[in-house]
Formats: sequence, structure tokens, C-alpha cells
Amino acid sequence: MQDVDALARTFSALADPTRLTIVARLAAGDATVKEVGEPFALTQQAVSRHLKVLEDAGLVTRSQVAQSRPAHLEVDRLVEVLQWVDAQRQEWVDRHARLADYLQS
Amino acid sequence: MSETFTVRHVHAATVERVFACLTEPEHLTRFWGSVGTSTPVEGIVVDLRPGGAFETTMVNDTTGHTHTMRAEYLRVDRPTFLSWRETDSGVVTELALSPLDDGTTEVVTTRRGLPPQMRTPEALAGWGTALDRMSAYLSEGVSS
Repeated sequence: MQDVDALARTFSALADPTRLTIVARLAAGDATVKEVGEPFALTQQAVSRHLKVLEDAGLVTRSQVAQSRPAHLEVDRLVEVLQWVDAQRQEWVDRHARLADYLQS
Repeated sequence: MSETFTVRHVHAATVERVFACLTEPEHLTRFWGSVGTSTPVEGIVVDLRPGGAFETTMVNDTTGHTHTMRAEYLRVDRPTFLSWRETDSGVVTELALSPLDDGTTEVVTTRRGLPPQMRTPEALAGWGTALDRMSAYLSEGVSS
């Protein structure tokens, strides 16, 4: 299994309605702090704080190139989280398949 | 506690037989572990009562490494319901068995909760939503 602490950071980063909306926004494409903040009544500082949490969780990276530093969603990280849950689910799917075989033997 | 996932399976056996398979070491040893592992009967502990111990030790067939799952039964309603909580992670597994008209048995397996590192109040509150949103997002094919 992958690093549980890293996974935990990702889960708690996503456990916030504002940050989920930000993730959904970034799914549509990279965006600046100003663009990310448009749907919210939030200061740019507040948006930056949310982005920082997502960055620490590995879900977002910030471009160093432009002054506006557009935020980019790390889709692979999202997939990793889904895979963790899916692996757990698969364990039980497989277990029931083996039980079914055993019941018929 | 938030539901992490649910798995449904219909078994071609009576509810009594399925319940026995899920609670008796001589049956569990035959199907519990994943491919490439075995779950020796002597490593299985079943004290089938609320508060009783449920333990399984899986042995990797190649490396010999072992992994022991330690849990405590929460609810035991023979032959229709069984649940236990894993000691290390606090994750709860529930098995609800329903006899169907044709003599088969539907088993609904539900896992609740996340490992302790993921069990902050914020994480719990957002978990279901996050998962739904991510699934929807990924199914839109944005990830490709």
C-alpha cells in the first residue's frame, strides 16, 4: 500500500466544499487565483490558502513561470486516491468470487 | 460512520450455509485470502459473539510474509447479519445476508470508515462527497 500519511493529507484536503469546487474548476483547465476565486465571495488570500492546502496534498501544482502562477490539477493524484478505495473493494469482490467457487466444490 | 463502499454478491447456497462459511475457520481457510496467499486454519480465531475476537493471518505463498487482521465482532445475528471492527484501523465491515426465493443468498458487504489518519472530522464530512465528485469527474474522461 502507498504512503498512508500522504493519502490522509489528500483526503483531508478534499474534505472541504470550497476546495472540492476548486478541484472541479481546475479539472476544466489551469486557472489563476483570481479565476479560481470568481465563484466565491472569498478574498484572493483565502483562495491562495485553499490552493496551498491542495498543493501540500499533492493535488495541485503552481506554475512558476508567469506572475499569475496558474494552478494545475494533478489528476494522477486523484486517480491514486480512487485506486486505494477500489483496491479495498476489489478485495471483497474477489473474496466473494472465491466463496462462490468453494460453495460449488 | 461514512460508507466507503458496498459490494453485492448472490451465492448459490442457503443463508445458513453462507453464514457458516463466513464464520467457521475450516470454511474461512478455503477462500479468505487473496490469490498467492493462504490463510491457515490454525491462524484463524473466531469467537462468534459481540465483543468476541475475529482474527485471520494471511501467509504469502512465495515470501512467507504474514499479515494478521485483528478485529472484534460488533453484531452477530445468525444467519442474517455480521459485523466486526478492525483493531488497527477502526474500519468496520458489515455483512447482511438475505435468503432469496430461489434458495440462493444475497450478501451485501459494506465497509465503513477509513484508517485513523484519514478519520479527521473534516475528512469524514467530505469523504462521500469527495468520492462522488471525483468519480463523476473521472468518468467525464477529463483525466485522459
